[in-house]
Amino acid sequence: MDSTLFDPAVPVIIQGITGRAGRTHAQLMQRYGTRVVGGVAASATASREPIGSIPVFASCADAVAATKARASLLMVPPLDVLGAVEDALAGGVELLVCITEGVPVHDALSIVRLVRQRGAVMVGPSTPGIAVPGRMKIGFLPDAALTPGPLGVMSKSGTLSYEVCYRLAQRGVGQSLWIGSGGDPVKGARFADLVPLFQSHAETQALLVIGEIGGTEEEELAEVLVRARFTKPVFALLAGTTAPEGVTMGHAGALIHGTRGTAASKVAALGKAGVRVHATMHDIVEDAARMLAPAARVTLS
Amino acid sequence: MFLIEHHGKELLAAHGIPVPSGVFVPAGGDIGAARTPDGPVMVKAQVAAGGRGKAGAVQAASSPDDVARIIAGLDGRALNGKPIHGFRIEQRVSFAHEAYVSLSVDGEAARIRILVSPEGGVDVEENQGRARSALALPDQLPDVVKELCAELPSPAREALNDAVPRLADIFLQHEATLLEVNPLFLLADGNWVVGDVKLVIDDNAIVRQPAIQTLLERHPDIYPESARKLVHGFDYVEVDAQGEIGLITTGAGLSMQLIDELKAQGRRPLNFCDIRSGQFRGDPARLIAVMQWIVARPGVKVVLVNIFAGITDLAEFARLLVQAAGQVPELRVPIVARLIGRNLDEARQILGASDLAVTLEPDLDHAIGLVLATLDGKGEHRG
Repeated sequence: MDSTLFDPAVPVIIQGITGRAGRTHAQLMQRYGTRVVGGVAASATASREPIGSIPVFASCADAVAATKARASLLMVPPLDVLGAVEDALAGGVELLVCITEGVPVHDALSIVRLVRQRGAVMVGPSTPGIAVPGRMKIGFLPDAALTPGPLGVMSKSGTLSYEVCYRLAQRGVGQSLWIGSGGDPVKGARFADLVPLFQSHAETQALLVIGEIGGTEEEELAEVLVRARFTKPVFALLAGTTAPEGVTMGHAGALIHGTRGTAASKVAALGKAGVRVHATMHDIVEDAARMLAPAARVTLS
Repeated sequence: MFLIEHHGKELLAAHGIPVPSGVFVPAGGDIGAARTPDGPVMVKAQVAAGGRGKAGAVQAASSPDDVARIIAGLDGRALNGKPIHGFRIEQRVSFAHEAYVSLSVDGEAARIRILVSPEGGVDVEENQGRARSALALPDQLPDVVKELCAELPSPAREALNDAVPRLADIFLQHEATLLEVNPLFLLADGNWVVGDVKLVIDDNAIVRQPAIQTLLERHPDIYPESARKLVHGFDYVEVDAQGEIGLITTGAGLSMQLIDELKAQGRRPLNFCDIRSGQFRGDPARLIAVMQWIVARPGVKVVLVNIFAGITDLAEFARLLVQAAGQVPELRVPIVARLIGRNLDEARQILGASDLAVTLEPDLDHAIGLVLATLDGKGEHRG
């Protein structure tokens, strides 16, 4: 994975910029420091008036040609995501961040295949976005939770990561690089795929993982942490440990069938890989703060 | 959406897949009125969970009295916490062999996993002795299926050669995430029949699956979560009908975590809720719906609202909360609203100026503390 894609200066376009949410967040992202260089409105009838200072194009190919954008934020309805991904890849976009929730799984199979064929990187669907706190964000991670600091973050859940990071920030522990990988079962970057990125990321001193029941991503992560000899401390919180079997709890990926995807299997795998696994928000915040808060670090040194 | 076996078989039969003839008797329904098949039958409890055989929820019957006795013994019961919605009374099949087929979406590979075995039965997933498995992209599925089946011994080979491509078509056409046939009965004359089917349809695809939509419209009682999601566009799962704490929350992970932590403290949350407040577009409909589902459960003593606003404007949320509560006057329990994010100050003013019995608290631990104090009778009642 090309780590320069996560550089704070990466030029970004927004697909679906003329929608209500696209318009709002284009401006919020710009204010945060993100280099929003353009937008795409694919519908033939859409207005292509600039949004503030941001030019609007008919396709990603046009937008990339005019702006040299490398990343795109996809803010289009669920059934339009497959088409928007095709447009982005055809236009040469290298990093796709897809916030859309509710993308059909069979569409996601096609999407992931296309992204892999092109050698592009995709975050999401169902991601709240990515951020280098204090520098840039692609998506809608809330400013209240974003604080520069030593903690790399990867999370299946937006809101649970906001909550934990907000509490840690209040304890003086901010984030180095935050990647919301989203709660869908079939998606772009999975936890395990992100390990090399955080391994080599100099500003990241420890890793926070917000997982949940369903799927096998936590188990895959545990394997890769061991195989890659990941040396930074890893803290993990798993949501949904009391969720009923066979019922989708909001995230399409959070679905248990039989013994696959259960909390017990994830806790065991992560624990064996040396991850500090916690059951409550309070406990993970205390543990990470004890190890990483500025006062603690002074005492240790 | 996990289809009960009866609906799974009806869907397969509509595609020309052979299934034993059978009828559905709803829980508490009249068996006498049902046109049950002649001869020996199976009585199969209809519940959206696996492990029915081991739990005694599938039994053989040889007479109408037998059927009545079995149903009386199971009616009103739950299996793995899931209610029994009714019974499929089905012609018993005399078979020579049992085989196994499953198709599922594999998230790690981002492909479809096919598993076939010449042996069906209860523990096939644990004992995959002669089973064959492969991963395929949708357009590779027909070829991969053919190769896999060719590796099986006869007579499973011939039957699965015919059955699996047809099942794979249905898997793709209905955008399933799981289609498992276990057992697939192989008959002495070379024909085959689906003994049992587990079919899970992707909830996100239901908007473009007319047959599944019709099923949901007819049976919202059997599929309350998927029916609600289709109509209202968000997720709500009742986890405890006797719950004391109603949750109006945004975000799946945080809502799940809240339930886990409240339960760990011996408390009883009513529901999971990912209301997706970022998609309200100025309409209180989702809030009204959740408030109505909450007031329908008399055990609820307090409501916890939790919104950590990423995409949501809290001022707009506060306005809609007040509007929605005005539409659901039956909601008389105290509300603790934990709001944090964009436009919090304006939200505070809007809630303060309303006559809603709501306490605003920006810290989640404090908000939970207020909720527990209310339950324990230590809360100050306002409004």
